[in-house]
Amino acid sequence: MAAARKLMSVRRDWRERDVRVVLAALIIAVATVATIALFAGQLQRTLVSSASSFLAADRQLEAENGREIPSGWLTEARSRGLETGRMVEFSTMVFGAENFQLVSVKAVSDEYPLRGQIEVQEDPDGARQLVAQGPGPGEVWINPRLLRLLNMSIGDSLEVGNRNLRVSGLLIREPDGGFRLSALAPRIMMHADDVASTGVIQTGSRVEYVYLFAGSDDALEGYYRWLEPQLEPSHEWESVQDGETFSRSLQRAERFLLLGGSLAVLLAAVAVAVASRQYSLAQRDTVALLKTLGVRSRGIGQLYLRRLALWGITGVVAGLALALPLFWLLTRLLSELLERPVDLYLEPSALAPALLTAVVSLFAFAYPPIRRLRNVPAMRVLRSQPGESGREAIPDMLVAIIAVFGLVWLYAGELGLVISLLGGLGLLLGILALLGWVLVAALRKVRGGGNAWRLALVGLYRHRRASLSQIAVFAMTLMLAATLILVRTSLLDDWQAQLPDDAPNHFLINIAPDSVGDVSRFWSEQGHDLEHLYPMVRGRLTGLNGQPVKEAVSKDERINALNRELNLTWMPELPQDNEIVQGAWFNPEQTRGVSVEAELAERLGLAIGDELTFTIGSSKVTEPVTSIRTVQWDSMKPNFYMAFPPGGGLTDMPATWITSFYLPGDDKTALNAFSRRFPTVSVLEIDHIIDRIQQIVQQVTQAIEAILALILAAALVVMAAVVSATLQDRQREGALLRTLGGRQSLLVRSTMLEFALLGGFAGVLGVASAEAAVWALQFGMFEGEFGWHWQVVVPIPLISALVLALFGRWQLRPVLRVSPMLLLRRLE
Amino acid sequence: MNQMTDFNAGQPQPMLRVSNLTHRVSLETDTLTILKGVNLEINRGESVAIVGRSGSGKTTLLGLLAGLDTPSEGAVELDGARISEFGEDERAKLRASRVGFVFQSFQLLPAMTALENVMLPLELAGIENPEARARELLGRVGLEERLNHTPRQLSGGEQQRVAIARAFASDPVVLFADEPTGNLDNRTGHAVSDLLMALNREQGTTLVMVTHDEHLAARCGRQFSIEAGELTEPSPAQEAAD
Repeated sequence: MAAARKLMSVRRDWRERDVRVVLAALIIAVATVATIALFAGQLQRTLVSSASSFLAADRQLEAENGREIPSGWLTEARSRGLETGRMVEFSTMVFGAENFQLVSVKAVSDEYPLRGQIEVQEDPDGARQLVAQGPGPGEVWINPRLLRLLNMSIGDSLEVGNRNLRVSGLLIREPDGGFRLSALAPRIMMHADDVASTGVIQTGSRVEYVYLFAGSDDALEGYYRWLEPQLEPSHEWESVQDGETFSRSLQRAERFLLLGGSLAVLLAAVAVAVASRQYSLAQRDTVALLKTLGVRSRGIGQLYLRRLALWGITGVVAGLALALPLFWLLTRLLSELLERPVDLYLEPSALAPALLTAVVSLFAFAYPPIRRLRNVPAMRVLRSQPGESGREAIPDMLVAIIAVFGLVWLYAGELGLVISLLGGLGLLLGILALLGWVLVAALRKVRGGGNAWRLALVGLYRHRRASLSQIAVFAMTLMLAATLILVRTSLLDDWQAQLPDDAPNHFLINIAPDSVGDVSRFWSEQGHDLEHLYPMVRGRLTGLNGQPVKEAVSKDERINALNRELNLTWMPELPQDNEIVQGAWFNPEQTRGVSVEAELAERLGLAIGDELTFTIGSSKVTEPVTSIRTVQWDSMKPNFYMAFPPGGGLTDMPATWITSFYLPGDDKTALNAFSRRFPTVSVLEIDHIIDRIQQIVQQVTQAIEAILALILAAALVVMAAVVSATLQDRQREGALLRTLGGRQSLLVRSTMLEFALLGGFAGVLGVASAEAAVWALQFGMFEGEFGWHWQVVVPIPLISALVLALFGRWQLRPVLRVSPMLLLRRLE
Repeated sequence: MNQMTDFNAGQPQPMLRVSNLTHRVSLETDTLTILKGVNLEINRGESVAIVGRSGSGKTTLLGLLAGLDTPSEGAVELDGARISEFGEDERAKLRASRVGFVFQSFQLLPAMTALENVMLPLELAGIENPEARARELLGRVGLEERLNHTPRQLSGGEQQRVAIARAFASDPVVLFADEPTGNLDNRTGHAVSDLLMALNREQGTTLVMVTHDEHLAARCGRQFSIEAGELTEPSPAQEAAD
């Protein structure tokens, strides 16, 4: 026993090809899973901090009631190690050289912004620069368009209420250039300490105080727990995740990473399973010999268990040694993409999935075939015994499948993902069984000849068992890789579709009913037709089925829509990007009813027929819910929670009109003429917000592509491992074929064809099951629509055929280089 | 038909003619000479045994005679064709049509059934209806009941019978056998060598056999012995005794 154990050192193991494959698979598994987990954590932090600049902080507390928050709240925040800042937002008339103009003022404290930077210009022709602080006391930065509207120059003084502030710069972009309809353009930015002296803010003025907080997640969470019981309904606590557009992009990117990690786990399991089965087959003679020498079954079991443990430790150590530099490299790459330094953030708990993957792969996939080695009869030494029928492996496979899907579930935390992938794999194995039957039935009749095609087909038939299991592994690998490519493609398409290049980038708000026609005509003359103008009535949702709405709705739900005035509208037709999910849209004669946005309806627990009461000014309007519809909030078009029919409940209410349209950067000067002609209409410029969103999408895309490349590399290694598992048999066969008179060119062509067919079959299968899995995923996780992806469906089988053909050619190398005599001897 | 077959038709020509054959292999540090100036002539239909100890160079000689490898020096003519000057593919073509092999370790492909193993050379040679011919040959070696068994399901003797059937499948003019009974017990070895001899006589094949089994060697028409890469001419006494 001792001698036998001595034989089993890792060093000796390493000399065996199958052990090298098992170890390589394990190392790659640990490295990939650890790298992805580490990088996902890093990416999330980086993106959140990058997106945090959208709030100019990590969290914002908005007080919409026109009152400042108790000073104790800020003191508490600072005592918890948080940075704080303050902003005051209001609208007022300002007076320039000769004109008045309504502006939206943002007055900021010295600390603003806590996250991100402000882009300013010292004069209209000067260079743009990024600064980390707002204007000082006595100064004001103004929107460049305002400079022209008011016919002013840098250095002039702007009258804000009772104060004269010196225009010291042009405000190009603020990090939290958030999208609020109350923020009426154009913008000026001043110091918060100057607000009192302007005398603009009186009791009852419409003003919003916004407080900024930044610090560690723990401190922020702790502070919020302390703060929450004291918040009033008019207080709103906002984090980056609450912002609709960005949270979606982030959530999707995070899910993609989780999916990537899960696929890495699956790939690893496949690789380990293939390699260890090969290893256990090769070990049968050794086991028989050990038994002959007197080692008992139990001893054999222990021997191999110890080896597995040794491999596990080696795999984990080497895998982590590989993961850390890779992670460092990816982070460097991320830093280059973002064009800013990224702090290396190493979360030790991110390594847990990698360790678990190693343990599960080894014990659920590698151990069963190795455990069965105990049953190898000693008689094998004398006489070759029939091999396993494969039936005894079925319970092991079930355990393995359950284990790996449990692992994926644990890792991704999404049952939907597990079920989608399981479904896809199920479909794959089903088709494979069918294909196996067809292969046997159709190829049985093909009989030789010197033709490479026939020889390749005969080869496929002869190796039908090996071929089918290879196709199964390749197809699974390709399915996993294709799933990832497909999800990436549809994710990006989805984003692209949401924000096309001509997405509306300007809103016109506050259009008086009698100037709607003139406004439309103005823009038509400029060559920009306004597609849809919507009336907008501001009102609160106050009643549900006769009860005050706050009593009727569960206390657990914190619904912002109930805390503020909603924009209500009426419209004859359902907007193109809205979709009715319950009930029916208004028919042309209908005047009663209201259509409610789906998410709000769900949170309020609304059903068709519920009576909603709105308070608009001093009147109340009660209407039944007649339909529930989804809304594309990130479409950059006016969107409404509540829509009424024309001639319905809103008919006599005071309305202004709103629209959005696309205005290319070159045509922006038209806005000056527009503002002069329609001074009461507010123009909201969101082109820079769209730029930021597109920038974030691009960053996420690049990160996703880096992960994709990693996974594809892992897939390639799995394929190489599988092909090399049959290396010896193939080489022996090649040598024998040459001995029996097969020409080199015939051998090369038929082998490449055979592998190409194998790869092609596997590719088609893999892509088909990937489409099925993506179809399921798309429904559950990424909320997109499904379509066939020809750009992936066609090339993957072709690429897979080509890659395998090259693998096949590569395997033949020694067969072609050495004389068949030498090779046959060497392989004996 | 090509020129090689028609080479000096009608004249008794040797099937194999070897002149001054030398073979060296390069090792890491030096060069090892395995065969030293071997000369040999074997006539059509003859059966010849080459005996020698392990490592004497007999298997290397067999490989060179069969065109599996090319010599460092010297020439090999097989059926009138100077194969030592042939390219790899020309030699392969020649092997497919004129040479059969029987190996000590059988060299059957484990993924294939007995039938498929025998069909392999027929398919490579592009012969029509390879299955019928393969069945017939397997019947001839007494394995008609085991057509669909894989090598793993066959005993050593049975595997060698499949290999013999495969060797005769493409109607070779010369058969090379490398220790054909080396992996078999005495009785099975006898049965297999009986079969080999019988088939050889029936088909009129030239047989070149490498062995260290003197009994088997004694059943051949001529015997050569090889030692340290040098081939010794058969003594006339031995020839007369046969």
